[in-house]
Order: sequence, then C-alpha cells, then structure tokens
Amino acid sequence: MKKTKRILVLTSVLIMAVVWGFIILERRTELFKGLDLFIFILTIVIGVIAFIMAIKKDKEEKEGLPAYDELSTRIKYKSGYYAYLASMYMWLFIFLLKDKFPDTETMLGGGILLSALISVIAKYIVKQKFNE
Amino acid sequence: MNNRIKELRAKYNLTQLELAKEVNVRRETIVFLEKGKYNPSLKLAHDISKVFKLKIEEVFIFDTDDYKG
Repeated sequence: MKKTKRILVLTSVLIMAVVWGFIILERRTELFKGLDLFIFILTIVIGVIAFIMAIKKDKEEKEGLPAYDELSTRIKYKSGYYAYLASMYMWLFIFLLKDKFPDTETMLGGGILLSALISVIAKYIVKQKFNE
Repeated sequence: MNNRIKELRAKYNLTQLELAKEVNVRRETIVFLEKGKYNPSLKLAHDISKVFKLKIEEVFIFDTDDYKG
C-alpha cells in the first residue's frame, strides 16, 4: 500500500475512534439503542475491516509484492460497479423511508456508512465469484 | 483456459510468493491463476512463461471449447 494511502486509512480510523470516544464520553452511562446502536456497530465494523485490510496490504508490501496489479484492479472496477448499483437502490429506499429517521444528519450519515459497507460486501462477493 | 503453473512451480521448487515477486503481481493473482479463475493479460502470461523458460502456449493451454456459446 502506498504510504499516503496507509496514512489516510490510519487517520480515518483514528478520527473515527476519537469522535466515538467523545460521543461515548458525552453520553456517559446512557446506553446506545435502536438506530444509534446500529450506526455505532456499523462504524466499528467498517473501521475494523479497513484496519485489517491496511495491515494486510502493508504486510504484502513489506514482502516485496505490489499493492495493486491487473487482477486487483479488475476486481476493484467490477465491485465498484456493483457497489454503485446497490448504493443507488439503498439511497432510494432511504429516501422512501426518510420519515423513520430522527433527523437528516442521521439519515445521511447512516447512508454513507451503509455505502461503505456495501462496497466491502461487493468486493468480497466479486472475489468469491470471480471467474473470467 | 487451463495452465500448468502449479505443476511448473513444483518442478522449479518455487512458492506462490516467489513466483508473484518474479512477475510483480500479488500472491492472490497466482492463486486465482492456478485455480483457473483468471485469464491473465498477454504481458503477465509472457512474464510467467519467461520464468519457466517456456513458450506461452506451453504454459497456458487455450481450449476453444471454453469460448463456445
């Protein structure tokens, strides 16, 4: 993984950890429930996945392997296409169910997090089914 | 398209990681190639064949039946 990308991933994870740290500190003993809990878990899951991927790529780079090659680029483009299609439907459903969200920020934040999750799932599925 | 990468790798006593380093791809790509899940570009096929000191057609076996509708 390129140094700049590694720094970007680590910075994102750190920012996420600090933001959630502040939120938890502010709420103190008040427990997360419902949509808040879902968004909290989603943030943690995406953060952990990003961190594991960053470590894996870093290890490969240390072994002298390239971060990207023709297959990984192909997988990236293909999964990007599926993730884009799936995200469009997701946003459609989110806007159809907009009354169910407490506020616009939660709706948009949740949508962005779900988009990230969709892209991770799309990449996993494309890798598993790749045959060309 | 079939290939003899696994067989040749064993013959030359190369690990997937070593072959990946030789042809400058990720180890995952070698795994996909050996499983027959990925058809490489002409450049990669050429590079792999060069490692084994063989012609492309001796490493990659093109089967026209695979491409019939």
